[in-house]
Amino acid sequence: MTAIVNLLSLAWKQLVRHRLRTGLTVLGVASGMFLFTAVETMQRSLATATQTTAADTTLVVYRENRFCPSTSRLPEHYADEIRTIDGVREVVPIQVVVNNCGASLDVITFRGVPEGALTSYAPEIEVIAGSLEEWNRRSDGALLGEVFAQRRGLSPGDRFVAAGVTVHVAGIIRSPFPQDNNVAYVSLPFLQQASKTGLGIVTQFNVRVDSSDQLESVATAIDQRFHSDQQPTNTRPEKAFFAETAAELIELIGFTRWLGIGAVLAVGGLIANAVLLIVRGRVKENAVLQTLGYPGQAIAWLVMSEGALLGLMGGVLGVALATGFLAWQSFTLGNEGQTLAIQPDGVVVITGLAAALLLGLFASLWPAWRTMRQPIVESLKG
Amino acid sequence: MSQPMILCRGLTKTYQKGSTTVTPLEALDLEVPEGQFLALMGPSGSGKTTLLNLLSGIDSPTSGTLEIAGSEIGSLSRGQLTRWRARNIGYIFQLYHLVPILTAFENVELPLLLDSMSKSERREKVESALELVGLSDRMHHRPTELSGGQEQRVAIARALVADPKLLVADEPTGDLDRESATRILELLQALAHEHGKTIVMVTHDPRAADAADRTLHLEKGLLITQP
Repeated sequence: MTAIVNLLSLAWKQLVRHRLRTGLTVLGVASGMFLFTAVETMQRSLATATQTTAADTTLVVYRENRFCPSTSRLPEHYADEIRTIDGVREVVPIQVVVNNCGASLDVITFRGVPEGALTSYAPEIEVIAGSLEEWNRRSDGALLGEVFAQRRGLSPGDRFVAAGVTVHVAGIIRSPFPQDNNVAYVSLPFLQQASKTGLGIVTQFNVRVDSSDQLESVATAIDQRFHSDQQPTNTRPEKAFFAETAAELIELIGFTRWLGIGAVLAVGGLIANAVLLIVRGRVKENAVLQTLGYPGQAIAWLVMSEGALLGLMGGVLGVALATGFLAWQSFTLGNEGQTLAIQPDGVVVITGLAAALLLGLFASLWPAWRTMRQPIVESLKG
Repeated sequence: MSQPMILCRGLTKTYQKGSTTVTPLEALDLEVPEGQFLALMGPSGSGKTTLLNLLSGIDSPTSGTLEIAGSEIGSLSRGQLTRWRARNIGYIFQLYHLVPILTAFENVELPLLLDSMSKSERREKVESALELVGLSDRMHHRPTELSGGQEQRVAIARALVADPKLLVADEPTGDLDRESATRILELLQALAHEHGKTIVMVTHDPRAADAADRTLHLEKGLLITQP
């Protein structure tokens, strides 16, 4: 164990005392890991937004064969009928207004909810600036998700206009669900009038059921109830709804996986090349170590330690820059009214660091193998 | 009579160079007692360095026996030879071969890094070795900040630090000015006579050979003189 630690320390000295060479390699690795982390963040954000779990109990009722919020027009009174269906705990009619229905990186989404329904619709939200009272008091009051407010530089008391709707910022909210940090909550009647949809018309109903195993039966019951109605519905679990309506987004993000794989291969190639150059420049030095009694395995460990440390240093830098950048920029991908917050989390950070470390180790396997098999006498002559 | 430190019988080394078989060392018999400072002389290609490589265990003989400190090393596997070398051999190179990015202290510490000794124990050994070669005041300097003679003394400290029985030196003064060479030879003499190290030194320089207790001449792989 002492020997392993000593060799690791020797590898570290080799790297930090060749600053330029190490710096350039680490920079290259960091660039690749930046891209990898960005792609992983998108993939993971998408997975979190679309994979249904046992804890999910929310259904979304949308107008059948409609996708963009502006085309989904449902009578608000459907809520009363939905409430009567077995297994339904709560129904909230919501009006959604977006500034851009296509795929975009800068989507502003207004959600109109009935007076007094916000705390039951989204009990997890926390008002971090301004007040809920101010929001209840003003008909044009808006509670902005903190990421949205930060991106637009808005604070309580400000006014802003988007998608033809002018609102007064009553407060800033924080939610454990990343998507909710990118929307503006306003009063339902206000939004119906401001967006010229008209009173009594909503975009969707969010339905909470008693337990997740009732999602399917309640969804079927709702759609059957309005099947012959003038406005038939299509009801799906919230995450499945997201997955379906944001299909283009998913396809786009799915493609980025190839960029991630490309970044990983590039990092692997870069480290392998750097380590190969290191061992080529150190043939005599390694032969001297062997003469001093270092076994081939010790030399190989030394080489692999350098590869792993290069990977880890580049990984730490790349992952830190990517997470910092993504957290600072608060990117939100939107499509057809659905928003996907690109937020890095602990899993992405750990995956990135582990990937960088493993790449460093694997990339230095071949150089290490070659080094440990170098004949001493010939290497000393060379 | 006590057992010699080095005992070679019929020591032969051959290798293939294309279709030709080269024999740099042929049926060599040699005995070197413990604590002797031996100089090996001879023209280039006479087999001096080959003998040195065999004695230090970085190369293996084709035939014959080679005993060092009572151990037959000719038949050891590569791994066994490596372990044996770490305990028994100190190698001094003509061009010092210090690791340029490491300080004198760190270079001398290298042979001890694979041992499971504490850091303070290691420090003590390294400082003693550097003190022995008269470089206590330069231990935190890198090779580029040292003169050739000082670099060679660091290399000698590195060869000594694990307390080996046998020191092999391949033209240790070949790259030094006369004054530095004299100091290195005095150091080697002291190591043999005061510290009981057996030293085998390859040299082209008759003045360096004069510093040794005994000089042997090799020519075309054969020993010419063995008093």
